[in-house]
Amino acid sequence: MARVIETRKTRLLLVGLVLAHLVAISKQVERGGQSLLGQSLFALVAPLQAVITGTIRGLSGGWSGYVDLRGVHEDNRRLQQRVAAMERQLQEREELAREAERLREILQLRKELPLETVAAEVIAREGAPWSRTITLDKGSSDGVRLNAAVLSATGVVGRVIAVGPQASRVQLILDGQAGVGVRIERSRVTGILAGQPGMPTAVTGDLVMKYVPSLGDVVVGDVVVTSGLDRLYPAGLVVGRVRSATRGSGLFKEILVAPSAQFNTVEEVMVVRTPLPDDTMTQGVR
Amino acid sequence: MRVFWTAVALLGALLIQTALTQIAPGHARILDPFLIVIVYCALTGGEMHGMLAGAAGGWIQDIHFGGSVLGLAGLTKILIGFAVGFASTRFHLIEPAARVLVLFLATAADAVIYVQLAAVFDVASYQLTPLGILFRAVVNAVVGVAAYEIVERRGRMGLDVRRRA
Repeated sequence: MARVIETRKTRLLLVGLVLAHLVAISKQVERGGQSLLGQSLFALVAPLQAVITGTIRGLSGGWSGYVDLRGVHEDNRRLQQRVAAMERQLQEREELAREAERLREILQLRKELPLETVAAEVIAREGAPWSRTITLDKGSSDGVRLNAAVLSATGVVGRVIAVGPQASRVQLILDGQAGVGVRIERSRVTGILAGQPGMPTAVTGDLVMKYVPSLGDVVVGDVVVTSGLDRLYPAGLVVGRVRSATRGSGLFKEILVAPSAQFNTVEEVMVVRTPLPDDTMTQGVR
Repeated sequence: MRVFWTAVALLGALLIQTALTQIAPGHARILDPFLIVIVYCALTGGEMHGMLAGAAGGWIQDIHFGGSVLGLAGLTKILIGFAVGFASTRFHLIEPAARVLVLFLATAADAVIYVQLAAVFDVASYQLTPLGILFRAVVNAVVGVAAYEIVERRGRMGLDVRRRA
């Protein structure tokens, strides 16, 4: 009996010693940074760790996404500003290109005109049913005279009605009080072109060609040029085209002319400085 | 008294092992004096004595000559001590030839168990070829049986002296 107890005790001690050694060894042994015991514990807590890690990663991802979004927002704002600045630059360059084109046209006209002219820039516009004027940045100090003709690259604009040292005012041919001696280029029929008082160009922007006899040869599309008979505008300058020509109730035809000058958009003009003899315009002027 | 002599024997094994590591560092493991002591304890004292001597000797070996992981030699020697003690209570292992066989098998088992435990726990350990194990077992068996004879003769001489007195 005593031997049986002794044997059991010995075996229990053996099992205890073996287990104690296994634990001691496993605590010292590292596999992938963890002991065997640690690995067992890790296997138990791994699912919990996975949940925690997933949650933290989710939160971290959300936070970094939020931060990135803020960065994107800031980038977007900065890029929008940059785009706006570039658009401004582009507009400025397009404007410069358009101005260069206009100046080239003006320069070309100056070369072709047998007139001494001075280039001027429109610095103000005024408009009323009874008065249509623009203001130029050139005045008497630049050789601008009263009643001097003002031309654009596309046609007659008006005449100078007031002159200052550094600026001058121009009455457009649209003005109800304005009058231009003109003729039909094809048939040489003459008349006077005037604005329409009251509602001059509000609807069509057309001018009225007056004093053309009922039998005058005028058809739609005819080119209207200055006649020079008014002693203001050099002869031969294009004013516009006949839009409509009807037999009037009286002795004269009722003719509407579409002006060739773009009054609303003209920015550079030429002011004639020297009076010229009549009928010296060439075909190239047009 | 048995515990005292066991401690003395283990101390002697420590001295011998230390001396061997100083004299022949590359061959110090060929002779295992701790194993010789443990087997003797198990042969003469049974399972419990062999197991406890194995634990003590193994841990001394681990502490002084082991690697980074302590307990491998301790566990091995516990198993060897228990096994030899278990065998000694069932077989007659007094004769030198039987003891040679026991030492031979114990040494081979010690090497195999140690290497396998190291492999299980993924610990770097010495690698012994079958020939190496055989050589080691032979050396331990021869040296161990010789040591046992010396000890037992001295013991018998001491006993005779006490009887005469």
